[in-house]
This record gives sequence, C-alpha cells and structure tokens, in this order.
Amino acid sequence: MNNPTKTSSLSSDLNNFIYGVSRRNFQNAAELTKIGISLLKTFPAARDAVLEYFAMVFHDSVNVAINPADYEVDPNSNASLEAVSMIGPELCGLGESWAPFIAPWCIKLIMDIATDKANLPNATLQSIDPVRVLLDITTQNLMLLNSDERAKCIDMMLGCRACSWAVGWVGRAEPELVAPRALALGADAARAVLAHLANHPPALLHVRAALVDLFQDAIKEDPKSDKKRDVIPYLLNLASKSDIVLKALIQDIENTLTDTVMDRLSAICAMHRHSGSWEGVGPASLVTLLLRSDVHCFLLLLKHAQKNVFCRQLLEYLLQKLENEVMYPDRTVPLLISAGEEINIVREKLLVGNQLEQYSIARILILVCYNQPSEFISTIAYLLQYSRTDTTLALLVRIISGTITMHTPNDSADINMDTERYQNFIKTGVEYALRDSMLADEQIKKYFIVDELAGDQKTYMHYYSLNVIKLLRWENSNRVSALRTRSICRAVEANLYRIGGALQRYASLLQPRASSTMAVLPEMPTCHALAQILDRVDMSGTKSPPPSVEVILKVVQAVVKYFFRCLHEEDIFEKICGVQTASRLLRKLCLHSKLARAVALRDLLETAMFREDKIFGSKAVIPNLLATPKEWSNDDLLMYMNQKHGPITQLTQSHTSVFHAGIIGTGVRKQSGQDLDGIPPILTTNNELLMGALMSCMDGNSGVVEGATSVSLLLVELVSPDVMYNGLPWPDEDFTKQVSIERELYMRGAVERCAVARAALRRVALARPALCLSSALLRASAATLLHRLRAHLDRHTQSPELSRELSALTELLSTMTLGQLLPHPLSHMLELAPELTASELVQVLRDCLWNYTRDHVPSPALFTCDSTGLHWRDPSTCKPPTVYTDTLRIILQKKIATLGHMYPIMFLNLEKDS
Amino acid sequence: MSLSDLKHSLRKYEFPACAKEALYKIEQLLIGRSAPSSKQLDISMDITSEFIFCETDRRGNRRGSGLNPLQELQLIDIISEYLSACSNETTKNTIFLSLFGSMDSQRKLKILSILASMAVSACCTPVLSAVGVWLQQMGCSSPQSLQLVESVIQDHFYLNTSNQNSLKTLATCAPEFVSNFITAVTELYMHDLQGVKKMPPKNLLEIITSWVYSNPTLCMSAQLNPAALPVGAIPMAVVTPLAGLIHWCSIAPLHVEETIDVEEPAPKKIKIEGEKQTVVKSVPLSKPLPTSDLYTKLHLAVLHSLRVGQRTHGPPTAVNAQQLAALIPLVQLYSHQLIKRGIKLQNDIKLQDCLDRIGQAIQVALANGCVYGNISNLLSALDTLPENRLLKMIIKKHQQSI
Repeated sequence: MNNPTKTSSLSSDLNNFIYGVSRRNFQNAAELTKIGISLLKTFPAARDAVLEYFAMVFHDSVNVAINPADYEVDPNSNASLEAVSMIGPELCGLGESWAPFIAPWCIKLIMDIATDKANLPNATLQSIDPVRVLLDITTQNLMLLNSDERAKCIDMMLGCRACSWAVGWVGRAEPELVAPRALALGADAARAVLAHLANHPPALLHVRAALVDLFQDAIKEDPKSDKKRDVIPYLLNLASKSDIVLKALIQDIENTLTDTVMDRLSAICAMHRHSGSWEGVGPASLVTLLLRSDVHCFLLLLKHAQKNVFCRQLLEYLLQKLENEVMYPDRTVPLLISAGEEINIVREKLLVGNQLEQYSIARILILVCYNQPSEFISTIAYLLQYSRTDTTLALLVRIISGTITMHTPNDSADINMDTERYQNFIKTGVEYALRDSMLADEQIKKYFIVDELAGDQKTYMHYYSLNVIKLLRWENSNRVSALRTRSICRAVEANLYRIGGALQRYASLLQPRASSTMAVLPEMPTCHALAQILDRVDMSGTKSPPPSVEVILKVVQAVVKYFFRCLHEEDIFEKICGVQTASRLLRKLCLHSKLARAVALRDLLETAMFREDKIFGSKAVIPNLLATPKEWSNDDLLMYMNQKHGPITQLTQSHTSVFHAGIIGTGVRKQSGQDLDGIPPILTTNNELLMGALMSCMDGNSGVVEGATSVSLLLVELVSPDVMYNGLPWPDEDFTKQVSIERELYMRGAVERCAVARAALRRVALARPALCLSSALLRASAATLLHRLRAHLDRHTQSPELSRELSALTELLSTMTLGQLLPHPLSHMLELAPELTASELVQVLRDCLWNYTRDHVPSPALFTCDSTGLHWRDPSTCKPPTVYTDTLRIILQKKIATLGHMYPIMFLNLEKDS
Repeated sequence: MSLSDLKHSLRKYEFPACAKEALYKIEQLLIGRSAPSSKQLDISMDITSEFIFCETDRRGNRRGSGLNPLQELQLIDIISEYLSACSNETTKNTIFLSLFGSMDSQRKLKILSILASMAVSACCTPVLSAVGVWLQQMGCSSPQSLQLVESVIQDHFYLNTSNQNSLKTLATCAPEFVSNFITAVTELYMHDLQGVKKMPPKNLLEIITSWVYSNPTLCMSAQLNPAALPVGAIPMAVVTPLAGLIHWCSIAPLHVEETIDVEEPAPKKIKIEGEKQTVVKSVPLSKPLPTSDLYTKLHLAVLHSLRVGQRTHGPPTAVNAQQLAALIPLVQLYSHQLIKRGIKLQNDIKLQDCLDRIGQAIQVALANGCVYGNISNLLSALDTLPENRLLKMIIKKHQQSI
C-alpha cells in the first residue's frame, strides 16, 4: 500500500533503483534485482526499464560465468549470478499476461548474447548457468503465448544467425513450429537450427514431418509451382550438410518414395535437371549422400535399378565408391555401418532377390564383412544355413574369397596369425551355422505347422549339410579357383568334433513323429548328409594336421551309431550306401589311429551283441536272465503245468518237477521250432555288413591281425562272465567237470545264441594267431560238448538236442581248424564228425581235441611270422604225436567202410612224411 | 535570455540533471501573467525535445535512439517529482500539457503512459490530476487517450493483479482522473457491432463498480471541478462516464452468462529445476460477486449517480441523448437474432432484463433532467425497441411531457 501523502516521488524503491542502476556496476546487482522484481509487481509500467536492467545483469553474468578467473571471485557469491538465479524463477512464474513482454525480451537478449559471444563455442555458452536460466525463461514464456505470438517470436530468433543453437533449444518446446520455419531458411542456417533441435528426440519427429511435407509439396502436380521444384535440390543440399536432415529424410524411406512418388519424381527430374539450382546435385553428390544414408536407401536403389538406367549407373558408381572408401580404415561409411546393423534384411535380400540385387548385395556384404569380422562369421553361418540354390552358395564363395582378397596381409612377425585369421572366421562361421541349425531343428520341432509340410522339406541340419557337401565338392574338384585354399575343408576339419556330435545326436534321435510338426521329418537323410560331410573331409592328417584324440573318439562313436542306424534302414539301397559310408569312414579313421580302431571295434561289437542284438537274429544269452526278461505265460510256469496233470503229481516236492511227455491223444510233445532251438544263422545281411565294418576297421598290413586280436580279446571280455579262467591254457578235463562247468555252459550259450559273436570268431580264426586269445571260448564249447555228448550216449540219435550239439561241434571244429589250432590229421575231424556216434565223438573229442590242445597250449607263440608278414603254423613242423591221433585212426579203421576215403588223406601222407 | 544561452547553460548538465533544469527553464518561459508568445512556445518546444525527451541533438536533427528504458524511467521520476513539487495547479497543468500536449510522437505517448501507470501505482495525486486534465483536453475517446488508458489497464488489470485495494482509493485521490478514465474505458468495451463483444476484464469491472458505487459524485467530478488550464487555453467539453456505463449495464445481460464464473485454471507452467513449489494464493477478502451481479450493482450505482448528476442551475450536462440512442441498434440486432432462431421476444429473460435496465436508466436520467440533446429523437428511437411494459410506460409518459 502506497502512501498517497508521499508526494516527493513515486516510491523510494523506484528512486533506489534508478540511482543504483545509473551507477552502472554490478556490486549490488542482487539488491537491485530484488528491487527490480518488486517494481515489476508494483509498477508494471516500469517493466521496460527493469527488464533492461535484467538484460544488463544477464550480460554481466554471462561474462562472469565464461571467465570466472577474470573476476577473481567465487562464482557462487557473484552478485550477477546471484541476481540471475533470482530472476529465473521470478520471470518464469509471472504468468500468462506477462508472457507477451517477457518472451520477446528473452529472445532479444538471447540473440544479443549469442551475437556478442559468437566466437565462443556453442557448447560452452549453452552450458553456463545464466544462459540456461534464460533459455528456461524463454521456453516457459513461449509456452504461455498463443500460437501467433509464438510463431512471431520464433521467426525473430530464426532471423539471427548466431543463435541457431538457442532456437534449437527453445524449439524443443515447439518443434512443430520451429522445424518448418527453419527449413524456410537457407541451407546453412537451417542445418544449424535443425542440428540443435534434433538433440531433443521428440523434435526429430517434427523435423521429419516438416521435411516430408516440404517434399510432398514440391512434387505436387501443380503447373504453377515450377518454382517449388527447386525444393528438391535444396533438400538434397541440406541433407548433404546436415546429418539430422538426412536422417529424417531417409527414415522410412520406403513410405516416402513409393512407386508413384518415384514416377512423379523422375518426371520432374527429367524436366528440371538442367536448371541452375539442380546443378549441385549431380551423381557425385548423390553418391556422397548415399554413402551417408542407410541400407534401406540402398535396397530402394536396388529395387529401382531394375528398371531405371540412372539408378543402375548410380548403383555402380556407389559400389565403386564404397569399395574405394573401404581402403581407408580410418573412414567410417554410415551406409556400411547401417548395412552391418541391419544385416538380416540385407542377407534375406541376398537369398530372395533377383540377380542384380544378389550380386550388388554380395559386393556390399564383402565390404561389411571386411570391416566387421563378426558379420563375416554370421554371414557365412547364415548362408550355410539358408542357402537353397547353387547361386546363393556361389555368392557365399564369392563373399568369402572377396573378403579375404580385400585383406592386405601385414608383414609382421605374426604373419601366421594374420593369415590364419580369416580361416578362423570361416571355421567359426561353419561352427555357428551347425549350432544354429541344430537349435533351429530343436526349436521348430515343438511347433505345429499350419499347412502340411512341403514335399521336399528337409531339416535345417540337412540343408546345412547339403550346402557344406556342395561346397566341399566344389573344393575337392579343384576347379574353383576361389576355393583352392581348401578353406571350407579346413573349416570343417576344425569342426569335426561338433559335426561328429551332430551326427551322433541325429543318429540316436528317436522321436515320436507327431504330425503337423517338423518332427515328422525322418532323421536319416540328415544323418546320411552329415556322414557325407565327414566322408568328404580329410581325416588322415595328410593335408592338414591330424585330428585330436578327442575328435577321433567322438567321430568314431558317431559313425558307429550311424552304422547301426543304417542297419535299420528299410530301403536296401539307402542301407547299403549308408553302411558303406560308415565303413569307409571307419577305415579312414582307424587307418591312422590304433586308438580309433580299438574304440570302433569295441563299440561295434558291444552294440551288436548287447544293444542291437535283435537285428542280427541273436537270442538273449540266457533265456531267463534278468537282463532279458521273457514274457512268461501261465502255460510255461511249472506250477500250472503240474496242475494240468491232476492228482498224480500231487506228491511231495512235486512243484519242483514235471512229468510230462505229452498229452494223451495229441501225441508226443511237439518240438519247439525247427530253427535248431535258438541258434541263429550267421549268414545274414546285417551280420555280413557288420563283419564288413569290423574288417574295415582293421585295414592295412598288420591291421588285420592286430584288429582280430583285439576282437578276440573283446569277445572273451564280452562273453565271459568273470575275469577268472580266461587264460589260454586248457586244464585237465576233470577240472572243468568239477570246477567250471557252469561257467562253460554259460559261455557256450552266450556265444551260440549270438550270431555276431560266432561270425566274429570265424573272422578271428582267419587272422591267425588271433584265435588263440579266444581260447577260453573254444574251451567252453569243447568242455560242454564233451559232457553233453556223453549225456546223450543213451538217447535217440535224432533228438533235437543231439543235432544241436552236433552243429555246435561242427562249428567248433571248423573254427579251430580255420585258426590252425588243429594241425593236419586232427583238422579232418570236421569231416568225420557227422558219421560218428556219440560215444565215438566223446572219445575223439577227449583224446584228439582236448588232450591235444591241453598239451599244446594255443598261444600265438605257435605261429611264426613269415617274410610276407603272415602268421601261420607250418604243418610240417607241428605234426601231432600219435598219442593224439590214435583214437581217430582206430575209429576210422573201424568205420573204414564209410570213411575209408578219409584215411589216406589223414594218415597216409602222414606216414610218408614220418 | 536567448535560446542559445539557454541551451548553453543546459548543456553543462548530463542527461537526468539537464531534464530537471530544463523543466524549470520551461516553467520560467511559459508561466506569466499573459499567454506566452509564439517565440517562447517555440523555445520551450526546442528545449523539451532536446533536453527532456532527447529527441533531437544540438543541431536540431532527430536522434535515432532516443531514451533507453532506464533513462525513460529516470525522466519519469524527474517529471513526477517536478509535478509533485509544483504548488500551482495552473503551472502544473501548463507544463504538463506543453510536455505532452502535442501528441504526434508515439515515444512521448509511451512515456506518458508509463508515467500515468506509475502514478496509478503510487497513487500520486498531482500527476494523476494532470493526466486527468490531459485526458479531458485530448478528448476521452481520442485514439491517444484510448491508448493511454489501454496501457494503464494492461499494467494494472492484467500484469499486476494484486493491487485492487490501492486502486479503490484512487477514486478519492484523483476523482477527475478516475472519471475521465472510466469515460475512456467505456469506449473500449462492448462496442463492436459484429462478431464477439469485447468484454471488460472482471477485475476492471469490479474496481469501476466499487468506484462508482461508493462515490456517487465521482462521475460528475470532472464537470464539477473545472480544470485549471493554462492561460488562453480552450477548455474541452467534459464527457461523463454515465452514458457509457448505462450502455454497459444495459447490454451486459445480453452477453454475460448467468452461470457462476468458473475458477480460473492454474496457468500452465514448465517445471524449472530447483524451483520451489510456492503456492501463491490470493486470499479473497470477501467472496467475489459473479459478473452478472457486478453489473447489477454497477447499474444501481449509475442510477444513484444520475440522481446526483442533477444540476441545480444551467442546462443538463450529464448524459448525451445521442449517446444513449447509440445502444439501441445493438439491442435490435440481438432481438433480430432471437427472431431468427424462433424465440419469442417476450420470453427471453435476457432481452427483457436489458430493456428493463434501459427503461430504468432512461427514466431516472430524464426524471432528474440529466439528459441533453435531442430527447424526442431518443424517445422515438426507443419506441422501435421490442415490446417491454416498463419502457412503454416511460416512453408514453415522457412523450406526453414534451
């Protein structure tokens, strides 16, 4: 409340203010500011003066803030700065009616300060407190203005060159006002304003909207607006100066430059290209712009290059320029960086595009890959997975060789590292592709597919494998110069472990074939393809370092898995091919590694005997062993059998035995089957294939003997129930009777029922002296035969048991003969056996076979190695003494009527020799 | 003393001081027994423009920049100090009119506006009375006056809204100024025929209502206290604000919504870092009246003033019949719009309210003999208004009496 009686002056505040201000220093700026603020409130009319003073304060505080050192004062206690901090909130809070005064004042002040400090970097100026306060006030008050006034204020600012940063800053509050206005300025001024504006992300939207509007306006069909066409070169010119403009223009370029727009644009270009303002936008500057643009622009250019000659030329120019730019490692090309960032789109285009697109994209990709090794890797991985045609694979080759050629080897001490670098990338690429396809298969299996699978749909791993195979084929053909370095081969070799793993995985995959999922696809084609890959690389170590033990083991296991999987294959052609591939792989692997051989043999035998025994026709080793539980039916159980026979059997302990020779009225008990009571045949396809595989593991000179030896040992190990009595010597016959007959029975049963073991024994017998090591098996067979035959002495000669025994005998004799364990006259027992009676057989077996073998321990020492490396027993030196042949001779003589033809063969020559 | 000597002596001083000195020199030149000669007037003009407003340099050429706002403030301080110190009313008015009388310069008008506004702020009676005389001499409805009044309104009713109490006292400090001010203000609002009516801001209306209501003689004060004019000056006719206020009060029902004024939304504001959220709330002393009630109150005050406006001798001077007649077309326009929309005129409360108020005002004015000019014309014009009982009776009565 002012006192009306005070007539001397308007107010003391006003006087103080006027007096203080006229002294023109800022010592008491804070004081005066306080007065000024109160004057603003009580004497609104004095606002011009007060604001003028505030402007002075701002100028001073800007000086202080820029050079605090010059004022030798603590910036916190400087009067001007203090005053500014008071002014800020005050002017912000005055309200709507003040805004029309405050806003222009602020803007004028900003312009003054900016012009005054034009030589200072913008960043410094922007960061000091007074300017910040001022910008706050401006923004705040601009918000309160109506749009006309606001536009006027912004126009005012835009008129000032030095304060484009301030426009940018303030414009953040009103980007939709600022952006179009800024564009109406010259290119340089617009650039500065937009650059500052764009620091504020939401503003970018408006900048873009303004630019697009401008552009759309420029191409509008309007005969009168010829002048407007010059906007296009202006925009291009602006874009060449401003990253922001370029960014805004190329954002969503597909939407801006639709086909219709393009048509219109080319019509306009054709008309105006030669006018003056279009001079600055020739191909050279366009290419410079494109270099700074992103990959979407490039793709758009590609699209139009199909039809438009100019675009095609531009594309070529651009690619050359890019290739040129890449030579300077210190230059970054945004287009390439963008291509790297959006590489997925680019790669996809590579797969589906037309020829021009594919080749151009390959060129871009080479540059990207050269710059970013990680993209090199991922590109390789991607193409290996998704390439479906030769063209795209050829592009991959092109990209690989192109990237490597771009590399300039540096001549350092580590030149090896340098050259190996790209090889490593390829290796990693192959690895990633493998991993990803495996994952893809894994993932996709779980999902349902809407439509039925296409007929030629394959698993991802299959596609990958086919691609690798093709590349390997090209490489191995030695016709593709780009692949001379065997880079793919080497990469695959480096990934053997993983490929082996994959093969193992796919070969052991047994999944339910749920329809409408990818799981419906069979695994076998994939396995075949993976095996093909393994088959095509070099694992011998001749062309590259040999694979490590670990790798070999993995691959061997995988191949064995694959082998057995192939045996299950129904299509015979596929089956044979697969088995052959597997055998070939085993041969390759085992040829150079004994370890591989050992593992392969063990794996093959073990699997064949125990896990996959069904396909070889083998029967369970012991029928009622827990390991192979039989489906017992009630009829087989002793208890029920006895009940059928009524009260006769209701005797003490009758539950333990059965008297059953048949059912009255139905004749004698039926013989169970004609298949020799569970002795499976040896000569089956699968068995032969397995033997083939076994044999291919023991290729090479000494390989067969060594291999057979280990097979022999393995057989003993797998068959024999314990480690005792597995030695070579044959004990006294009585010993077996008393001690080991159970064991012998078991072992014989095991061998007999397992076709694989029997077949293997025969193979072993061929590779002398390996059979010696299976001595325990032979002994078991011999011992049981001896006792069983003895037991059969009183029975019918034609009983099935006897015929089974006889066939076992035949097999034993033939095997031992084959293994040269029975020298000359004894070897003919085989031919005699069918004609002999059981008692004769017992005698012969005991005297000629058992006793001989007992006294001549079957050991490798019996076999000498001749000059060709072959082990054999010279018949001339190992003639058995007569004590072992006499029995035979006597029996022969007794049966001379039927066996006479054998006598001279067996004994006459013998006589001659002796 | 010759012109050059005068100037020479003044040039010894720097700006603020020279203005002060110049004022005294002008006073010496202009104040005398008789009217100053034309030469003296020229000299004073010269000095004014060179030393006070700094419009010209020593060779008489125009200076581009003139005074900056701070210097203006200094000058205003000096002028107001001088005016306050001036004991003689005539001297004061003479000097004031010589400073601001020839209103060809926007710059001077701006300084005058600031001076007036600051005087209002400070409630400085000498300055305000001088401004009141100036308003009267320039004519309250002249563009210059309107500009000045607008700037005062801008300052005191838009920018500074916390000074209502001190403004209320103005009516007692400077009634002549206030009277002329209101006259000018009534010219500013509710006048355009087409489009939206420009309505006075509520706080202005409040203040005017309180002025007129609490001081019935206020409207006549300019007429009751003739201004002390310089020797030889021709006094201009004083127009009272009554006609304008009748105009306002009558038209107001047509345009003011009956609804209670909504609370003004808080002004939008950007949050500034570190700023404390200070809630400044003007605590209303009494519950403010709604706008329509304010007009009613104003209407009553005007009727009161009309009764005071009766002059004991001489012809009536308070209200011009023509001015009153000027509001008739506005009402007619409104009723035409109603008819167009198909509303019966008798049923429109707003229109009837308006007509009632016109009737009341005319009756009081005529009964008290405040109206001058062609009354019969006014009555016949009133007759063209839509049907209203009160109005009809009044017209009938007065037409008979003529």
